[in-house]
Amino acid sequence: MKHPDQYAGIFGFIVGLFVTISSVFYGIGSFSGPGPGFITLLAGVALTILSLILFAASGRRKLPFQGLRQIWEGHEPKNIVYVLGLLVVYTFLLEPVGFLITTFFLMVLLFRVQGNYSYKKVLSLSAAVTILCYIIFVQFLGVQLPRGVMGYFLLF
Amino acid sequence: METLDYLLYGFRVILHPMPLFFCFIGVLIGTLVGVLPGLGPVAAISLLLPFTFHVSPLVSVIMLAGIYYGAMYGGSITAILVNIPGEAASVVTCLDGYQMALKGRAGAALGISAIGSFIAGTAGLIGLSFLAPPLAATALKFGPPEYFAIMILGLTILVFLAGGSMIKALMMASLGLIIGNVGMDIITAQPRFTFGTTILLDGVGLVPLVMGLFGISEVFLNVEQSLKTQEILKTDLKGLLPNLQEWKESIFPIARGSVLGFFLGILPGGGAVISSFVSYGIERKLSRHPEEFGKGAIAGVAGPESANNSATAGAFIPLLTLGIPSNAVTAILLGALMMYDTPAGPRMVSQHPDIFWGIICSMYIGNIMLLVLNLPLIRLWVKILEIPYPILFPLIILFCLIGVYSLDSRTSEIFLMLIFGVVGYMMKKFKFDGAPLILAVVLGPQMDKSLRQSLLMSGGSPQIFFDSPICLGVLAVVALLLFVLPFLPRVTRFRKSLGEESEQL
Repeated sequence: MKHPDQYAGIFGFIVGLFVTISSVFYGIGSFSGPGPGFITLLAGVALTILSLILFAASGRRKLPFQGLRQIWEGHEPKNIVYVLGLLVVYTFLLEPVGFLITTFFLMVLLFRVQGNYSYKKVLSLSAAVTILCYIIFVQFLGVQLPRGVMGYFLLF
Repeated sequence: METLDYLLYGFRVILHPMPLFFCFIGVLIGTLVGVLPGLGPVAAISLLLPFTFHVSPLVSVIMLAGIYYGAMYGGSITAILVNIPGEAASVVTCLDGYQMALKGRAGAALGISAIGSFIAGTAGLIGLSFLAPPLAATALKFGPPEYFAIMILGLTILVFLAGGSMIKALMMASLGLIIGNVGMDIITAQPRFTFGTTILLDGVGLVPLVMGLFGISEVFLNVEQSLKTQEILKTDLKGLLPNLQEWKESIFPIARGSVLGFFLGILPGGGAVISSFVSYGIERKLSRHPEEFGKGAIAGVAGPESANNSATAGAFIPLLTLGIPSNAVTAILLGALMMYDTPAGPRMVSQHPDIFWGIICSMYIGNIMLLVLNLPLIRLWVKILEIPYPILFPLIILFCLIGVYSLDSRTSEIFLMLIFGVVGYMMKKFKFDGAPLILAVVLGPQMDKSLRQSLLMSGGSPQIFFDSPICLGVLAVVALLLFVLPFLPRVTRFRKSLGEESEQL
């Protein structure tokens, strides 16, 4: 089983190598006339070499490792996947559906992620938060938030 | 005497309703953020950054700066009452502050923390007022090679002092340089790493980047943990003023903390966290009763709390005079100043004196407001500690979403923030520090420009970096920090202790 840092080293190596090769394509120029890829080449090479060092150094550690599993031991990463999924769907629906509706439903679902609150409490809190945010950000601060399907009803 | 004239000018600029109101809002939010564990000043400033574009640059920076030093005050409250640091610089306050609370002296601990912070914060500001203008005048003589060298030094010190592995910190700095140079090249207009999209042509926005890396990722980290209810110590908060003996034991630690914190705050990578640790170590060494440290010694609260507040004033020196941030918070403030079209640096004193002196003077007033807020309102802050995290985190997410969308009314910015949220979360799980990355992102374009200008000036010869005595000196320090000091056993132990303390957060 690999130490978690070895996975980080592999990822860093891939990113560093990609940046290095791309920088060459962008044009590194010369010392007297550095091109657009000059500094990113330096950074990419540095990242590649450092990733290799990290990979090698973490491979020499003597303790037994459980690989990536030890990072998430005792935690519930499925909550993150759920929250992230909600946010992605929210973002897709924000403009067509509108801020008020999407935010209300997002708040209802998020308040239920960790807390065991009643639906009555969650619904009223979500409504209060959504309306308060609309008043503060749209009315007072002048932030432009999408109206979506509510556009015909929101006259102010 | 000239400095006093400038200070009077600064007070004239900010003694108006709007700047005062936003200063108050900033320190109030800062204290709140400091009280709430899991939400530090970096995340709070990131969350509020987009909303500051609706007001003037002066007022915006006053508010954001208020959040920074306000958080230092608030962090001590949770450290003393709950034994959990509200933010990183209050870690050492837990050691003796909580013990004092267990002995029924919570009020005295909170009181000395607030008063010591006020004294040290004010002392730091006096240092800032007198040191900043001559340093800015000296910096006007710097050219591209000097700027490039100083930026490398800033990044190197931050990497050196980052808790944990230096290799990882250097990787973050390299990645930050890459991210900072995404978008159109300023000289040739060649798109770099835009993947054929128009979204990234202007580069990676600072707001989605910091909100994702520090705000959303923090929420992810907390959401995956099974919640434990925070037990707030049920203690009578009587007597917020220390008694005479406690004053005697605190006055010299406060004085030492003020000076130490200020100078450590100037150093890139120094800042409030390092200064609080160093202050604690010094007070324990100098104390006549070192055995009492860890069991409720008031000097163990007075010194570090003073040091971390003084450090926040010191941190503004490289930011305002050189345009080089010394930590993640000032890196974001620098980015904000650039976005307001009032870049920090040696010309700020002459081109934007109202903003330069306005910020400094607002911090004097902010410190007074904090003293007034903290002492009488401690019971209110304790109540806020009781807000359950399942209620808090959806609100944090909502602020992030509204904040990012409000910039350009584009959902692509939200997607970018979510991507960086995942990146930030993975960074924290694999123990990569975000501070070198954010500093490198903010400095990246300037470093690119300075490096290329230097090489153009010298016709391609790197000798230009060794011709200037300032450059030579700075690069020598960089070499020392990267290739000599990390291999000394004492330094290795010191860096390891920093890493262990930061992992406890």
